[in-house]
Amino acid sequence: MFDVVDAALERARAQGVRDVEVYAERSASRRIKVYQHEVEQLTAAERRGVGVRVFRDGAVGHAYTSDLTPQALDAVVRRAVDNAAVSDADEFAALPQPGGEPADVHPYDERLTAATNERRIELALAVESAALDADPRVKTVEDAMYADGEGEVFLASSAGVRGSFRVNQCHCFAYALAEQDGQVETGYAFSVGRALEDLDPEACGREAAERAVRLLGAKPCASFKGQVLLDPFVSASFFGVLSSALTADAVQKGRSLFAGREGQKVAGELLQLVDDGTLPDGLDSVPFDGEGVPTRRTPLISGGGVLQGFLYDTYTARKADRASTGNGIRGSYSGLPGVRPTNLVVSGPATPVADILAGIEHGVLVTDAVGVHSGANPISGEFSVGISGILIEGGELTTPVHEVTLASDIIGMLTNVRALGDDARWVPGGSIFTPSVLMDGVAIGGT
Amino acid sequence: MDIAAFDAGLLEATLARALRRGGDFAEVYVEDRDSTGLRLEDGRIEQTSGGREAGAAVRLLSGERTYYAYSDALDEAGLSAAADAVAAAERSGAGGADVVHLGAVRSLPGAHPVAVPPDEVAIARKADLVRAADEAARAAGAEIVQAIAGYGETRQKVLIANSLGDLVFDDRTRTRFSVQVVARRDDVIQTGHETVGGSAGFELLDETIARQTAAVAAQKAVTMLGSKPAPVGAMPVVLANGFGGTLFHEACGHGLEADAIAKGASIYAGKMGQVVAAPHVSAYDDGSIRNGWGSQAFDDEGVPTQKTMVIEDGRLTGYLYDRLRARQMKAAPSGNGRRQSFRHVPIPRMTTTYIAPGDATPDDIIAATPRGFYAKSLAGGQVEPASGAFVFGVAEGYLIEDGRLTTPLRGATLVGSGIDILMKIDMIAGDFEVKSGICGKDGQGVPVGTGQSTLRIAEMTVGGTG
Repeated sequence: MFDVVDAALERARAQGVRDVEVYAERSASRRIKVYQHEVEQLTAAERRGVGVRVFRDGAVGHAYTSDLTPQALDAVVRRAVDNAAVSDADEFAALPQPGGEPADVHPYDERLTAATNERRIELALAVESAALDADPRVKTVEDAMYADGEGEVFLASSAGVRGSFRVNQCHCFAYALAEQDGQVETGYAFSVGRALEDLDPEACGREAAERAVRLLGAKPCASFKGQVLLDPFVSASFFGVLSSALTADAVQKGRSLFAGREGQKVAGELLQLVDDGTLPDGLDSVPFDGEGVPTRRTPLISGGGVLQGFLYDTYTARKADRASTGNGIRGSYSGLPGVRPTNLVVSGPATPVADILAGIEHGVLVTDAVGVHSGANPISGEFSVGISGILIEGGELTTPVHEVTLASDIIGMLTNVRALGDDARWVPGGSIFTPSVLMDGVAIGGT
Repeated sequence: MDIAAFDAGLLEATLARALRRGGDFAEVYVEDRDSTGLRLEDGRIEQTSGGREAGAAVRLLSGERTYYAYSDALDEAGLSAAADAVAAAERSGAGGADVVHLGAVRSLPGAHPVAVPPDEVAIARKADLVRAADEAARAAGAEIVQAIAGYGETRQKVLIANSLGDLVFDDRTRTRFSVQVVARRDDVIQTGHETVGGSAGFELLDETIARQTAAVAAQKAVTMLGSKPAPVGAMPVVLANGFGGTLFHEACGHGLEADAIAKGASIYAGKMGQVVAAPHVSAYDDGSIRNGWGSQAFDDEGVPTQKTMVIEDGRLTGYLYDRLRARQMKAAPSGNGRRQSFRHVPIPRMTTTYIAPGDATPDDIIAATPRGFYAKSLAGGQVEPASGAFVFGVAEGYLIEDGRLTTPLRGATLVGSGIDILMKIDMIAGDFEVKSGICGKDGQGVPVGTGQSTLRIAEMTVGGTG
């Protein structure tokens, strides 16, 4: 699609625009949902489009189109220019300059392209069967699916940025419903990779079933303040919310609780948090970001729980007089780049999960949290969500609990991290690699 | 191109092409969407963006199976490729249903009248709105540290043809304005949020409305600076009108969507006609409210939107159907088949869902509550339709003591499960109000309205840190 990108750049030159950047993408995706051992839904999709960003005396205008005809490209450039006339100028807003060699990461696996639809359908069916076979109390797998996608990105600018890369990924997912004595509990699981061979549909289905079944008989527990062990799914939600406060954008605009705390201790000694867009197995790994800046490894919390820094795109980096960390991420051609994490990695000295559990006199193993995006406020740091899980008493998992709340504040939870499990795994949705995390001083609200 | 004048012959040919190897229903959905958005933060308009996306989707239903394919190309090649993709997936082999000849295009141009089409308004006037909001928010005091104002407009034209012979054109204009304000006092940071939106044009907004919206958001943030951590435990909860309706949307509405019902993944499955709420509770979903944010003349399957009674005097009376689930469950489609865009499969979705007003006053309700929690504004929430369990963040809450609102409370969540809460509604006021929002489900966001009057839930779990 460099022909389209170059045509748009040419239209911009013809319209007298000096600083322009063109981002084009094309992608194809498939989704197969099965229900009761039959294909329920099969979706095949292709999309392509182009986004144009222009800078005029420090003012930014953006426009996009899915129509790639010469007239449409001319119109989209004109619209971006018109939009720049409305935006306010800012001395730090400027066209990103070429940022050096792209990161040595190749997020594309040829094997996925060779997969047949039959294999994909088999895989989705295997997910559902594994969940249903795992336990007779699993009545339904409301969602059993396989999905994949591949895309290609083309970026070029009048400053000489020019690059392209291909990505692909696939995953399977199960959302199982277990029922006993009229009570329904749910559990989900997924398996992710870049080829069908990377996926484990049986383990995925089985895990969703187990996560639902283990909650049967759950009821609210008594309120207490103490220890919670977040399993990797829940831990990933927590760090996902927290990460938006670690962007320079949030810091510079007064909406980060971490503003002004660089170099200070913000977390328990053990905890390390890194953003890394170059990991070979990271689903959000790419050679360069949405502005052409190479991705890299950026420590956020390390050295005894000390806040090391923030994530930057070109604009926030210029404002802070430093270099972009390659975190100017674009969701699609219709959006502007924004500061966002790539892959987040939570790490630290690993303790066997069984040993962590054995050391908890009274607490909760949290296996599901709902309302993380509405109940957690990354600006104020307040964190209050509904949870399900298993009570821990005298070092043993005892009765399941649900319809209780977990409340704390983000800094409070971070500083009270007491241990990290040996069960680290990738959790998609924000591409986070995290183990189970033990935290203290958390308020559980129940009866 | 103007999709209203799309070649009906090509649509018919595409439907037949999709059905050639089997299937009992085919549909073509053509969409042309143009959006413009402005965003102000830090006192400057930092992003102005707009664009146009067009494409077509072909859907084939065969028994309970759905095949879906789409293309960005609105020509014969694009439509044929999508039709071939769905036909290739169909394995029944035998020829499919016949295509009924498409009749004249149906549309309802007066259903949600647009007095001032936003695309005819100079973009500078839209910029004036976000600037006015910034000024008004910052005028609320030195504690205001940030204001974010957003303006958005969308004009979406859809043309829907199906093998039953339906041909529907719908021209939808939506306009929305939102303000978020951040206030800080020492180490305490609080936010306030307010929006205005409708299936209407630029007549919905002017600088006075922009300033009022910002002032409300700023007031919420400043009020909450003086808040104390919310208590923990079970207590009476009074939900304010407007934003309080989000609770009904999440706790009940999602469980009434027919896809969850069909799979038995809802606590409301198999309960038609049964008591699911207190006797004085009635509730509706209404996609036809004039100029409502969640309204449109037709749903995204070409079915006219309607007012559906879902609960009458405490008894379950209706589910929300798309065509697929209506077929499976032998019911009539209710105009709730919606999709985010041509890139998304239509599924049962709410439009504007609300609990009908009662005859108390908000003051009566608070005065009748010796001690409780008053939720003025909810931050949003989530539900598991299968179990009915939900959780809500409270953006603005107060303690009720001796029948009066006292201390502002922060960090509260409301936890419970759908039917349990509906059964415990013991007072409803008459101050009905609808608010606009975006509801997410299966990765698709669609505009919805949520509403209610002030009401009381006799007992509910409040989670806080205090």
